[in-house]
Amino acid sequence: MIRLENISKTYRTDKVETLALKDINLHVNKGEFLSIMGPSGCGKSTLLNLIGLLDQPGAGTISVDGAAVKSYRDKDVAQLRNQTFGFIFQSFHLINDLQVIDNVELPLLYRSLPARERKQRAREALERVGLGARMEHYPNQLSGGQQQRVAIARAIVGRPQVLLADEPTGNLDSQMGGEVMDLLLRLNQEGTTVVMVTHDEREAKRGSHIVRVFDGQLVS
Amino acid sequence: MFKNYLITAYKVYTRRKLFTAINLACITLTLMVLLVVTALLQNAFYPTGVEGRSDRFLQVTTLVAESEGGNSVRTGPLGYKLIDQYLRPMKSVQLVAAISSPRTVSVYQDDRVSELMLRRADAAYWQILDFKVLEGSVPSAEDVAQGRFVAVLNASTAARLYPGASALGQQLNAGGQTFKVIGVVEDTLQLNSYSDIWVPVTTDPSSEYRNQMFGDFFALLLADSPAQLPLIQAEVAEVARNLQFDDPRQWNLALMWADSKLDFFARGLFRTERQADSGAGLLLAIIAALMILFMLLPALNLVNLNSGRILERSSEIGVRKAFGASSRTLVIQFVIENVLLCLFGGLLGLIAAIAALNWLEHSGLIPYLKVDINLAVFGCGLAITLFFGLLSGVIPAWKMSRLHPVQALKGAA
Ligand SMILES: Nc1ncnc2c1ncn2[C@@H]1O[C@H](COP(=O)(O)OP(=O)(O)OP(=O)(O)O)[C@@H](O)[C@H]1O
Ligand SMILES: [Mg+2]
Repeated sequence: MIRLENISKTYRTDKVETLALKDINLHVNKGEFLSIMGPSGCGKSTLLNLIGLLDQPGAGTISVDGAAVKSYRDKDVAQLRNQTFGFIFQSFHLINDLQVIDNVELPLLYRSLPARERKQRAREALERVGLGARMEHYPNQLSGGQQQRVAIARAIVGRPQVLLADEPTGNLDSQMGGEVMDLLLRLNQEGTTVVMVTHDEREAKRGSHIVRVFDGQLVS
Repeated sequence: MFKNYLITAYKVYTRRKLFTAINLACITLTLMVLLVVTALLQNAFYPTGVEGRSDRFLQVTTLVAESEGGNSVRTGPLGYKLIDQYLRPMKSVQLVAAISSPRTVSVYQDDRVSELMLRRADAAYWQILDFKVLEGSVPSAEDVAQGRFVAVLNASTAARLYPGASALGQQLNAGGQTFKVIGVVEDTLQLNSYSDIWVPVTTDPSSEYRNQMFGDFFALLLADSPAQLPLIQAEVAEVARNLQFDDPRQWNLALMWADSKLDFFARGLFRTERQADSGAGLLLAIIAALMILFMLLPALNLVNLNSGRILERSSEIGVRKAFGASSRTLVIQFVIENVLLCLFGGLLGLIAAIAALNWLEHSGLIPYLKVDINLAVFGCGLAITLFFGLLSGVIPAWKMSRLHPVQALKGAA
């Protein structure tokens, strides 16, 4: 599904150069639930963002469905992001000025769909995450767990092939975190590929496969 | 797609009421003041209304006379003789009018006394200015030549003196003289045309005015075309140089200038009666600078508000990009949001300006004021707010939209 070959990433600031990832080779298979683990600062988020084409690698190639990504100009990758990936962030990143339903509808705005169908799909996605009754709310009127579920609804509304989640339960208590995990597992069982960064060994074990990152490199 | 942008913009604005309100107030207020001020300035300086030919005429209002050695100087309005003998024969002019400054006179009517403004004018005055005659007619050349006791009133005065009746044919007792009202003209508030009552110059109780170099008159000099005005200015300066006073030992140097309205105000402001350059250029520069300064304050406020929002929006930009928005779509979205706000603010500003001018006209605060909104100025004002709106709201957003989504999500500016 997604293949990373010899991927490296260096962050340059004025003073220091950080080699965040070094020579990563990784294959994400269709339908799997891949957990990425590792200590803080080892490069997990960097890796996930590269997989989702949110950032450009310093070296190496990423292929999606067998096609190598050559340009990161957004007119070339925007479509790919929209069709292939759904993102879930640790800090939700919902748009506070928009109602829940409009937040969820957002990925569909960048496809040519009639408004009625967009709304319909957003409603369905919200119902799937159990928030059918909260569509008219604003994000800051919801609990953290609810907000993350809205974010999940937004990630799945476009029926992407791959869900990318960066510590989706990191900001939630264990009960809400458990609900979010259940939801991700269910989506995975229904056929969506999931790649999740987590600090929690037990969460990671619920997936089908674990990769460990240490100091910018894959171990095991 | 376009509809989505509008809906999103609308949702964001109704959600952020304070932000929207401050922004709108900013734009509205600026445009309103700008429009009101320019409407007043335009009424004063621009050829319009009764003085619609003011791009073709100049006025000579002041004579400066100096004695030998300069120990005694007299400055004042022109005498009728100066206009009649020296200005009328000028080659570069088409028509010269003599008109007195408005004088307050007591008007007796039905046991009531009103203090009204009266001007004495020659026949050319009515030809150079473009009065809108509502009833009757204005004095003819013959009326003036024969010294007929006829008067023209403006509409407000006619209505005040003869409520419920036509003013035409009425006897008007003004300043101890009795006139027959022959015409009613529209109210106006402009330099040469504001007054309540006009009568022929020849009805002056004493004929002494005919022999005076200093008096209470000024002259309007009409040219064939605006291009001729510099010729008139040169000739008037020439006339002043060759002026012969009755007693050359008393005054041996004379100065006078043919001025546009702007020159006239500039001279009054900068006291430049003694030099050819009135300082109108400086006056214009000052007005422009004040206007720009005035526009700058809300513009900076707009910039400030918008850039404060950018950080907040960077996460939105990151999210939208992560879910497939291209920079182009994002820029369009921000442009539409800004343009919408500016247009709405502009519309409110226009309405507010119209209301304010209406109020000014009817409040009597400035009598006889009649002004129009200048749509060109409105356009300029709107363009300026759009410019700053785009500058402050769109350019930072555009820059951010060109980042990789990760950077935007992290709020890197
Ligand atoms: N924009 C950036 N500029 C400079 N350095 C960065 C930037 N983003 C990340 N880094 C550095 O790259 C390394 C990897 O960061 P990354 O965010 O991928 O770690 P992580 O494994 O996700 O950590 P955490 O578990 O705390 O989220 C870190 O050393 C970090 O300091
Ligand atoms: Mg991380």
